[in-house]
Amino acid sequence: MGEPAALRAMRSGDASARMSLTGRLRERDAIGSSIAVREAVKTYGSFHAVDRISIDIEPGEFITLLGPSGSGKTTLLNLVAGFQSLDSGEILVDGRPVHNVPTHKRGFGMVFQSYALFPNMTVSQNVAFPLRMAGVDRATADRRVAETLEIMRLTEHATKSPSQMSGGQQQRVAIARAIVKRPKVVLMDEPLSALDRRLRESIQIEIRDLHQTIGSTILFVTHDQGEALTMSDRIAVLNAGRIVQIGRPLDIYRHPTDRFVASFVGESNLIEAEILQKRGSTLTMKNRAGYVFSAESRDTIDVGRATVLVRPERIAVSNEAAANSAPISVTSAIFLGEILRIEARMEGGEPLLIRCTDMANRPLPAVGDRLHVSWGAADCWVLA
Amino acid sequence: MTSASIGVRSDRPAELDLVRRLKDPALLLVPALAFLAFIYLLPLIDLIRISLSGPTWSSYFQRAFAIPLYWDSLVRTMQISVTVAGLCLLFGYPTALLIHRSRGIVQVLIATTIVLPYFIAILIRTYAWMVLLGRNGPVNKLLVSLGILSEPVQLLFNRGTVLLGMTAVLLPLMVLTIYSSVARLDQSLTRAALASGAGPLAAFWRVLLPLTLPGMGAGFLLVFVAAIGFFITPTLLGGPGDQMFAMHITQQADSVTSEGFLQALGVVLLTITLAVVAVAGRFLGFEFIWGGRKLTEATPKATERRAADVGRRSFGAWLADLIGWPLLRLFGRLPASCGTWTIRLMGGLVIAVLILPIIVVMIISFSSASYLTFPPPGFSLRWYEQFFSDSNWMRAFWTSLIVAAMSAGIAIVLGTSAALGIVRSRIRGKSAIMLLLVSPIIVPPVVLGLSLYSLFLRFDLVGSVFGLAAAHAIGGLPIVVVILSAALQGVDTRLEQAAAVHGASSLTVFRLVTLPAIMPGLAAATFFAFLHSFDELVLTLFLSSAQLKTLPLMLWGDINYRLNPVLAVVSTLEVLLVVAGLILARPVLATSRKAA
Repeated sequence: MGEPAALRAMRSGDASARMSLTGRLRERDAIGSSIAVREAVKTYGSFHAVDRISIDIEPGEFITLLGPSGSGKTTLLNLVAGFQSLDSGEILVDGRPVHNVPTHKRGFGMVFQSYALFPNMTVSQNVAFPLRMAGVDRATADRRVAETLEIMRLTEHATKSPSQMSGGQQQRVAIARAIVKRPKVVLMDEPLSALDRRLRESIQIEIRDLHQTIGSTILFVTHDQGEALTMSDRIAVLNAGRIVQIGRPLDIYRHPTDRFVASFVGESNLIEAEILQKRGSTLTMKNRAGYVFSAESRDTIDVGRATVLVRPERIAVSNEAAANSAPISVTSAIFLGEILRIEARMEGGEPLLIRCTDMANRPLPAVGDRLHVSWGAADCWVLA
Repeated sequence: MTSASIGVRSDRPAELDLVRRLKDPALLLVPALAFLAFIYLLPLIDLIRISLSGPTWSSYFQRAFAIPLYWDSLVRTMQISVTVAGLCLLFGYPTALLIHRSRGIVQVLIATTIVLPYFIAILIRTYAWMVLLGRNGPVNKLLVSLGILSEPVQLLFNRGTVLLGMTAVLLPLMVLTIYSSVARLDQSLTRAALASGAGPLAAFWRVLLPLTLPGMGAGFLLVFVAAIGFFITPTLLGGPGDQMFAMHITQQADSVTSEGFLQALGVVLLTITLAVVAVAGRFLGFEFIWGGRKLTEATPKATERRAADVGRRSFGAWLADLIGWPLLRLFGRLPASCGTWTIRLMGGLVIAVLILPIIVVMIISFSSASYLTFPPPGFSLRWYEQFFSDSNWMRAFWTSLIVAAMSAGIAIVLGTSAALGIVRSRIRGKSAIMLLLVSPIIVPPVVLGLSLYSLFLRFDLVGSVFGLAAAHAIGGLPIVVVILSAALQGVDTRLEQAAAVHGASSLTVFRLVTLPAIMPGLAAATFFAFLHSFDELVLTLFLSSAQLKTLPLMLWGDINYRLNPVLAVVSTLEVLLVVAGLILARPVLATSRKAA
């Protein structure tokens, strides 16, 4: 919701910092592993937490599992981590089955929502933990810990106890612990949801840059669609224990496969419309309010009714009626800074959500105002 | 125990399943359950078997109730227990509120005066009352000097002193139980009531009281159940007319002729106790025994019961309104500070009753007089010298230390393992297992002692240090299980996952993450299990021999034989031990609370 644009700006502003960060790590010490989940099933009684999920993750990919709570995303992550065991199916890392390998032998790094820093150890002891467990000699371990603390800008906190640090700092320690071993796979379980918005955005960028630097495969779990869109190479949207759609953020946002994805990722208008005619790949459609518009179709649909997704920011608003516009009456208008969020009803009573840039020299629409909206064929996406 | 693996499609090699089964945390319950089965359940079953082994199954019971002595004593026991529980509730509730409402150092001090006596042996606290109320005791002296009495009178050995002594001994249990339910309440509820226009009294009557009713019920029943099995206090403070049921069992324990008959008395006491607990558990949930929350998720049964609760509650509210509002209106005329002062007054009285006897005994231990008198004519360390130079006392002291250390060791090893099993496994019937593990708390010690006596005779364990330590561990185990289950539930499993995912094996995870996190609980549990054994008298009465005498046993003998200041010395040392333990445990307990 406006975050991507804002973040892009922030990211470009942060470019110099990123350059120096990359410079400090001369080469990619670790290249990520591929992960393949095949027909994974996990049930609790009659509840299918993970229902025959299959997914192929490329080496070095940043993949996000996105879904509402109870969708199975955390269970899937726990299965990959080995905290829970599969009922059936298999999990392969670099082609080797790992689902019977105990967690501690899988060699992953992981960041937890609650940080999960060991309270009885200092920051550097926490970060050194994976190296200690791997039996890395002290000198090497010290060097690696110092290096990682520097990357995460934690050097001056090395001897502190985690409880003396702020939430953001603690999460950076947790990230440092997860990457210190240069693991081929890093798992992240909603690592940012305990942080406030500003901090969340800056750590999002930090994680994204870190991914570029260390090259590990990152499996990231979140319920925040903005976060998923900002960070991922690919997003897997989960619902009710299944993957509903998997694809690049842009594809997920622009071309959702069903109503669930359309409404869970971003804000949406789902308009029921009747197909009047089909000419070439262009459909002529009419909604309940009687507004006739054209939409690009996928080949499967040609007659009957269909649901059309129109993103709120793709709707053009005007004070005057035009040839292809439809009248609406405003039910609420909220000024959000750079944009206006307008809720309105079309003539058939159908609700419509509009996001438009703040209009200069124009007063904020009032409740009951009549405006005129329109959208073009490229602004619609016909759902199956 | 394999419930976790049922329903898993087994397309895995068989040995993997076996490994998984061997790693099932439910197996950790086995040692403790086996221990209890042998030393606790088996003897109790045997006790019941013997009680039924007469010519007909009921003949021993018929014999017992044919004698009016036992029937009368049973009725008396019930009367005394109900009275004591009622008194504890009456005085305990304001005290719990007083702790809750005070702040800072005052709260710490008040809480300490309640908690400290809780951990001091019943025998010693009863002894303190004997000193306080004795012919040369401070109460008699005070009454004479005030001119109320012309000469010291016998204040002891009547029903009043039995009630006073038992109430004082059991008050901390009541206060702590109610306090935990008061402290769990959302503070803003009372404020919301006040903001909605309820006066302090109305807020108390309609919000605080109904919400703490389960806590009051739990406290009442715990005290009642403990009182039924009481034996030490009524023996020492009561007269011939105040015999309680448990006393008959100990008095007859030595005579061989009463075999079967004696067990029948024990079974009667056990049945009453279990019946009360069963009925209470039905309404309050059995968690009231250990003051914990449910280990398992709410079962459908619980929600059903909640629906029934609503009906009962609305009736309760109607009744409360009917009786309450006219009274409230009446009391509402009183100045608002009345409630506060009632609480302070009653709480203050409770604190005095709990702490004064201990202070008097500690002062008397430094007395220079050769008999018990207060205030002492002068101060000296002669009784300490006598204690430390008496080889009998010293031997008993060391025996107690060794037995207590062994007993704590057994309880800690079995209890920690069982707590891990109960918290970490997905086994079904967790509540039932927890109930079994904790049940030794509610079985009257006299009954337990009697049942163990025949087991110990059979295996020639009477008078063995190890046997006694194991017997004490029966009571130590529930303490450890309760404390450590709570501690384990407080451990953040994500910390353990974080360690595992970064390469730590299960044992390393336990050593580096779990153990440090439960360390405070472990330390506290060790101390309390040690103290439980160190203070234990009733089981010891049955199971020790002339060669094996513990400190409480020596005290018991001396109190019945002659009251002298050496006993005050022992008491003072015990108090110091408890204080030291609590001081040591304090920072540990404080950090554990912070972490949680």
